[in-house]
Amino acid sequence: MNLFKKTINQYLIFLVLFLPIMIALDYLLVNHLVYREIDELLLDERKRIDYGLQKDGAVLSSYYLYRIEPIAADNFRPEEFRDTLFFEPYANGNIPYRTYTFRSSVDSQPVEITLKHVLLDINGLIWWILASNGVILLLLYGGLYYIDRNIYQWAWSPFFENLAKLEKYNVAQKEPIRLKKTKTSEFETLNKVIETLIDQIKNDFKNLKEFNENISHEIQTPLATIRNKVVLLLGSDNLDPKEIQNVNTIYQETNKLSKIGKSLILISRIENLEFKRLERIDVRDIIENILGNMEEIINFKHLEVSKDLDTVTLECDHILADILFTNLIKNAVQHNKEGGTISMVLDNDIFEITNTGEVSDIPTEKLFSRFQKGTSQKDSLGLGLAINQKICEIYGFRLDYVRTGGIHTFSLFFNP
Amino acid sequence: MKVLVIEDNKELLRDIKSFLEEEGVICEIAPNYKTAYDKIGFFPYDILIVDITLPDGNGLDIIREVKKENIDTGIIIISAKNAVGDKIRGLEIGADDYLAKPFYMAELNARIKALYRRKAYNGSREIVFNEIKIKPDSHEVFVNDHILNLTKKEFDIIHFFMINKHRLLTKEAIAEHLWGDHIEMADSYKFIYTHLANVRKKVAETGGTDYIQSIYSVGYKFTDRG
Repeated sequence: MNLFKKTINQYLIFLVLFLPIMIALDYLLVNHLVYREIDELLLDERKRIDYGLQKDGAVLSSYYLYRIEPIAADNFRPEEFRDTLFFEPYANGNIPYRTYTFRSSVDSQPVEITLKHVLLDINGLIWWILASNGVILLLLYGGLYYIDRNIYQWAWSPFFENLAKLEKYNVAQKEPIRLKKTKTSEFETLNKVIETLIDQIKNDFKNLKEFNENISHEIQTPLATIRNKVVLLLGSDNLDPKEIQNVNTIYQETNKLSKIGKSLILISRIENLEFKRLERIDVRDIIENILGNMEEIINFKHLEVSKDLDTVTLECDHILADILFTNLIKNAVQHNKEGGTISMVLDNDIFEITNTGEVSDIPTEKLFSRFQKGTSQKDSLGLGLAINQKICEIYGFRLDYVRTGGIHTFSLFFNP
Repeated sequence: MKVLVIEDNKELLRDIKSFLEEEGVICEIAPNYKTAYDKIGFFPYDILIVDITLPDGNGLDIIREVKKENIDTGIIIISAKNAVGDKIRGLEIGADDYLAKPFYMAELNARIKALYRRKAYNGSREIVFNEIKIKPDSHEVFVNDHILNLTKKEFDIIHFFMINKHRLLTKEAIAEHLWGDHIEMADSYKFIYTHLANVRKKVAETGGTDYIQSIYSVGYKFTDRG
């Protein structure tokens, strides 16, 4: 739920809760005012009647006069206001009245005079109040909605613009991020914090990358030297078999180191976008070519290859495409079992390669990270899929992996 | 054959020099751009082995300089960068081959010999070792003048051995020479073994001697010595 909806929902909840309170208050207020008015009116009428009695000794005719009752001299009922119902023939029903009873005397005879005034239909009032308050709150809500939306669009616009920029930002990119300047101080602070953070991350990232590249480059020449010396040692006739075994181990580990270096260099070169030529690549050609190169090992392992390949062209660098498909096919061959199968499907959207093999113990999500490999394959470096992942990142491909038992499937989506 | 090796790593330089001298090659060395520049001005070389990244300059400039003076000089680039851009640029300005570090000496040797044969003998020169004779340009192998019927890989393997005779060739070097990056080591051992078994059998059938010695689990040596 976005900020705007959240705010507006809060308003709505508040207004809904507020409506009954408002109705109650209004009702009490109106009720109070009405009674006060009526009571004042009746008191005023009493004053007028009292005045008439004093002056003329007769009860003035009054619209509000209800009855005059003689009472006993010792009857001391206090004057009082009451709400009562009277039957009115014209309405054919009971009508609420406010009455006011007070004592006076006509011709020295104590009397009790009662005045009455019709009351408003209080039930009807409540509905009116409800309706009017409802309309007011609705208008209020509409107003708040409108204002809030404008604030959201206008005052928050730099925020959203920057958010969109950050979403698209990649620390690997060369150009620095340019956040939109704003006069809102909180946003400006946020921008500064983000820019500082990004600078730091970028710096670290750059250092790390340079370090990786340098290490990978710089070890190659010493490794070449070590390897040459070791070959000389191995070729000399002075070593006994035990020593040869040891030297051979050094030799093989050196080779492994050199391969790791080469793969890491490749990864960083892909990251640096050194392969930026865009050519129209005939994918089927590439796959057939790779299969040709691997024919020997495929035959050797007695693998059965079935393929359903359409003619598909992709826009990408030829070298990267070759690496990508080589890794996938090599993977399927290498992790296959004797007499297993490989099947490939290629169309405009997807290249899917399925192979039989052993049950892997690597969690699927870890498979693409560097140096992940199944326990059975001691010779593989686990860098092939990391390289593939990098290539996919560049061209916006997606590489998925599924396994069910001993069946492994890699799906390469060209337009995910 | 006269070779100039331009490489700033002294150890590697020494290794290449001693390896090539054992092959009967006259080998001169230049540890930096300046020395290399001076040398190519004075002497003609058959082959130049050039490292692109030198402490005081770029190997590509040396290649350009050499190509201005002597178009026939063969050039092999050796580079730690293994950057495709460098490779393409190098080949464009006239280099003949490119080898990424770290490389096997046997591989460098094979490349130098192949290049020299192409340059100096138009590829027509035969390689002879006792009763075995190879015609590299037509991919033919003769034992006692009988032609052997070899597959491409079998030819490649015996060719590689003939160029690097009397030397230990590790399985890794053989595998890389034959398949490049298309194969994993574990698989390649079996292949090499299978191919070698076929070569041995075919050589023996025509009455040739088996010169391929197995050196423990490390590799093989093609030799008629002890």
